[in-house]
Amino acid sequence: MELYPYVQEKLHSGHKLTDVVEAGLVQEFVKTTRVIALIEVAASEAKRGGEQALFIFQTARVPVHSAIDLSIEQILPIDTNLKCEIDTSSTDVDTDVLVNITSGKLRILFEMPFSQRTNAFVSEILRAAEVIGKRRGPPPEFSWLLPYHQSCSNGPQEKDSASTVSTLVAGDMDGLATDAPSPGDVSVDVAQTPPSPSLDPTVSNAESSSVHNDDDRSPELGVNRHNIATGLSPTPIAARESHIKHQMTLREDAYTDINDFTVFVGTWNVNGRSPVVGLAQWLSVDEEPPDVYGIGFQELDLNTEAFLFNNSPKEQEWLNAVLNGIHPKAKYKKVRLVRLVGMMLIVLVQEKHLAYVRNVAVDTVGTGIMNKMGNKGAVSVRLDLHSTSICFTNAHLAAHQEELERRNEDHDCILQRTCFQMNMNVNTPPKSIKDHDHIFFIGDMNYRINPCDLNIREVASSADFKTLLEYDQLTQQKKQNRIFHKFKEGDITFKPTFKYDVDSQEWDSSEKARQPAWCDRILWYGEGIAQHVYRSHQELQISDHKPVSALFTSGIKVIDTRRYRRIYEEVMKKLDKLENEFLPQVTIDITEVIFGAIKFLQPQTKYLTIANTGQVPVQFEFIKKLNDSNFCKPWLSVRPFMSFIMPGDKCDVSIEVLVDKQTASLLNAMTDKLYDILVLHLDGGKDLFITVTGSYERSCFGSSINALVHMSKPFKEVPVAKLIDLESSYPKELSEMPYAVPKELWYLVNHLHSHALQVKGLFVLRGVQKEIIEIRTSLDEGVPDDLLPGSVHSVAEALLLFLEALPEPVIPYTFYQAALDATPNFALCKEIVSKLPDHHRTVFTYLMAFLKELLNHLTHNELDAKSLALVFGSILLREPASQAVDRRTSTQAVDRKKQIFIHHFLMNDYDY
Amino acid sequence: MKLKSLSLQKKVKVLARMDAGVGKSSLLLRFADNTFTGNYITTIGVDFKIRTLEVDGERVKLQIWDTAGQERFRTITSTYYRGTHGVIVVYDVTNGESFANVKRWLHEIDQNCEVVNRILVGNKNDCPDRKVVLYEDAKRFADQMNISLFETSAKDNLNVEEMFTVMTKMVLLTKKEQKDRQGETNNPLRLHNNKTHKRKQKCC
Repeated sequence: MELYPYVQEKLHSGHKLTDVVEAGLVQEFVKTTRVIALIEVAASEAKRGGEQALFIFQTARVPVHSAIDLSIEQILPIDTNLKCEIDTSSTDVDTDVLVNITSGKLRILFEMPFSQRTNAFVSEILRAAEVIGKRRGPPPEFSWLLPYHQSCSNGPQEKDSASTVSTLVAGDMDGLATDAPSPGDVSVDVAQTPPSPSLDPTVSNAESSSVHNDDDRSPELGVNRHNIATGLSPTPIAARESHIKHQMTLREDAYTDINDFTVFVGTWNVNGRSPVVGLAQWLSVDEEPPDVYGIGFQELDLNTEAFLFNNSPKEQEWLNAVLNGIHPKAKYKKVRLVRLVGMMLIVLVQEKHLAYVRNVAVDTVGTGIMNKMGNKGAVSVRLDLHSTSICFTNAHLAAHQEELERRNEDHDCILQRTCFQMNMNVNTPPKSIKDHDHIFFIGDMNYRINPCDLNIREVASSADFKTLLEYDQLTQQKKQNRIFHKFKEGDITFKPTFKYDVDSQEWDSSEKARQPAWCDRILWYGEGIAQHVYRSHQELQISDHKPVSALFTSGIKVIDTRRYRRIYEEVMKKLDKLENEFLPQVTIDITEVIFGAIKFLQPQTKYLTIANTGQVPVQFEFIKKLNDSNFCKPWLSVRPFMSFIMPGDKCDVSIEVLVDKQTASLLNAMTDKLYDILVLHLDGGKDLFITVTGSYERSCFGSSINALVHMSKPFKEVPVAKLIDLESSYPKELSEMPYAVPKELWYLVNHLHSHALQVKGLFVLRGVQKEIIEIRTSLDEGVPDDLLPGSVHSVAEALLLFLEALPEPVIPYTFYQAALDATPNFALCKEIVSKLPDHHRTVFTYLMAFLKELLNHLTHNELDAKSLALVFGSILLREPASQAVDRRTSTQAVDRKKQIFIHHFLMNDYDY
Repeated sequence: MKLKSLSLQKKVKVLARMDAGVGKSSLLLRFADNTFTGNYITTIGVDFKIRTLEVDGERVKLQIWDTAGQERFRTITSTYYRGTHGVIVVYDVTNGESFANVKRWLHEIDQNCEVVNRILVGNKNDCPDRKVVLYEDAKRFADQMNISLFETSAKDNLNVEEMFTVMTKMVLLTKKEQKDRQGETNNPLRLHNNKTHKRKQKCC
């Protein structure tokens, strides 16, 4: 990739470029070009190698030609907060895809082509994130990024020692869209700072202003002409499907209502016992039935079989017990049951809600023996209820008073390793626990009460839990932010739930005499959740633990279909509007190009101005219409016929009409007229029609021999109707006494015969255009005193032109091939001439006689037979249009044959 | 007006045909951009706009072609029928002559299209005083020609959305019927080749 060297040049030594791509930064409904690079620091350069970061570069021009074109706009360290996913909701395989990168509260959207390359790049990012995620110990520092950060931000830096590089970077992220906070993000404490001026000193004002325009949510972006010229302008996004989804997510608040759902969450370590008692005392103690149940068990089955074969009869027993114990006032449906050895989690919803439950997934994590086995760990169920994602996690952490750190690690492990594979789409990235709006984390956490001066049993039996809770390990660890970061727990107002003598309310009386502890806990995370009750159920005595439960009201986002539709339509309309606005647009100053009188061989030019009044560069082209072989008539030429116009720019197009020897005859015969419609096509846009009209002034030039011999009056005085009749295949009005040769030909030849027999360079020197036109006018309007204007060279050229413009050559097309074939033999040539139509034969003989007369004076005029034969051969013998193409290979041979044909007649005597 | 649809979505191409000055461009702008301006420059050429509709749960991208109404462009504009799914023939309810010309437009459609959905639209239906083509007369004619009739006003945004929605539904139905028919005849061959089949459908 050619971007590699330029990006590498931007890096400090020891920092390696892993991969780089070009992508469109999506803001509202448009995108602008950015370069995204994945940079890795060498192990020797940082305290710990393996740290990587995403660099986002602004580009001064597209495509990028050097490192100077790139300026760092943003740096995103790849840590556990960074997420990257490809949105493949678009069903159309051919379009671009949206790549969503989130880091904390920051959310950046890129459009990239749907390709292997994009996939590879995203995979690289995910791999980098995975490496960091798996790393144990203190969080990465990313100190190697500091020099870059200083260079990319020229605003005053926050020197808050507490903030990490990552928060600094994120806070400065003014150029990139900071959309509404994504609900799934757990870390929400990243401060949003107001926009600061340009991110990089090398970025010109014009560009930086456009960057800030991007903050403007309105799609009516001020389009910067300079930026368009350099290809930096916003263009409409292509991944429309994905974008609609993205836009709808942004507008979620506008079409969702928050409805309160009651959620009952319970946890119980049942110590391997069977449900010999009813569970209603635990699950159905509230007046109203909850909407959702999340019920977790630990030590459901202590048998080795359950451990080894993951198969337990207890599962069904306890499920039945639950189903019998839940609230009788409502009907419930099981969403999912998940079990790993002794840990089991059941999620139920009221039947009426089942239709709104989607994307259910489960995962289990074993953190027991070898950090793998399922005797400890967690089981989780996730679901979307209406538009809120909910995760229930039921954990059983390491036991024993002194295993505090093991419990912390189990906690880390569960949060890290729980991974829900979403089935709905292979490309949908798996979700972790933290990717949910609402999380209920319950279970036998096994945190104990640290030794203290108090008599724990005594205090535990009393009602003074506050004192005792100060020594609760979970409370302490959470306070230190070591565990359950951002989770909440209600006030504990119940006795420790562990450890009791079975079938009693008495503390453990065994030898071990375990101290009481609040092992069984319920924590939650998420907005809009209120806990109403947090309690234990002392009356259930079959286990050494007491069950715990909590009742919540959760604000669930429920889509209002009516509003959803309205907003959906708005979004689509906006996109449509934008798409329409970004269609190429031009205006032309005239749509009808009207020429006055057009005369033979006198070109006229008019100009048309095409102005790009749209927002995108325009590629225009005059295109063919219907079955035409060219986009315009042969007498018309348009320059340029295709070009490129930048927005705000103009392009002048010249439109020239020239009736020459090729086109005159058609116009004379009314087969064609000076009228054409040009179709100006804008690439990807509309077509404009331009009408070109003119009136052709007929001339004897371009008229046929057969017609001209029947005209005794000057050409101009012959009525048009008669002209057309004479040019038709079967003329009705032939004069009784036609001329032997057209009088115009006679004037031309006679003039030369009278004035030019001894002139050097005849038919070689060029005539004067102006004089030729005068000659033509004279021939058309009548020759006064039988005298043609102009020099003999002009007359000579006019003669050639006259002969060339004959619609049917002197040797008619039908005789053409025979004439060529006859060239080896003069007798054959003579025979051909004898067969010519009368007037053609006369004209031919007349011309040959004239040429021979010229050759009689060759001592003066220095003409030679071969040159004359070459000139006249190519004019008197013209190949039919149908042969013009395939003849090309042997042009020389054909020309030679024509020359020989004429040469015979110049060198030999002949009678007709 | 030509209706061309684009699909990811289904794509539908609609062509608008009518005399100059009956408000075709206004109709188009009303539908695509929901705007109206009284003084439009006459269309000299062929322009189009897009609009995405959701009809019966299917997203349809309409490409509506606005063709010049002038007589002299008729041979050129008739070439734009290619690939058209629907044609909207528009007359001006305040102009009897434009209604008289409808027959000619319908004839042109018959000559250029094998299968196409047609709708007759009487635009400028916003000034009862100036209305000369009565609904009853137009309706009788439409029934006779077996074509649906809509009276619209681009100015007052009357019936425009409805008309295009109906047109889209008609096109979708025709497409479905064609596909079904195709499916019947091609089934044994297509069984193993479902994917390409699908694609073909898409790009029409």
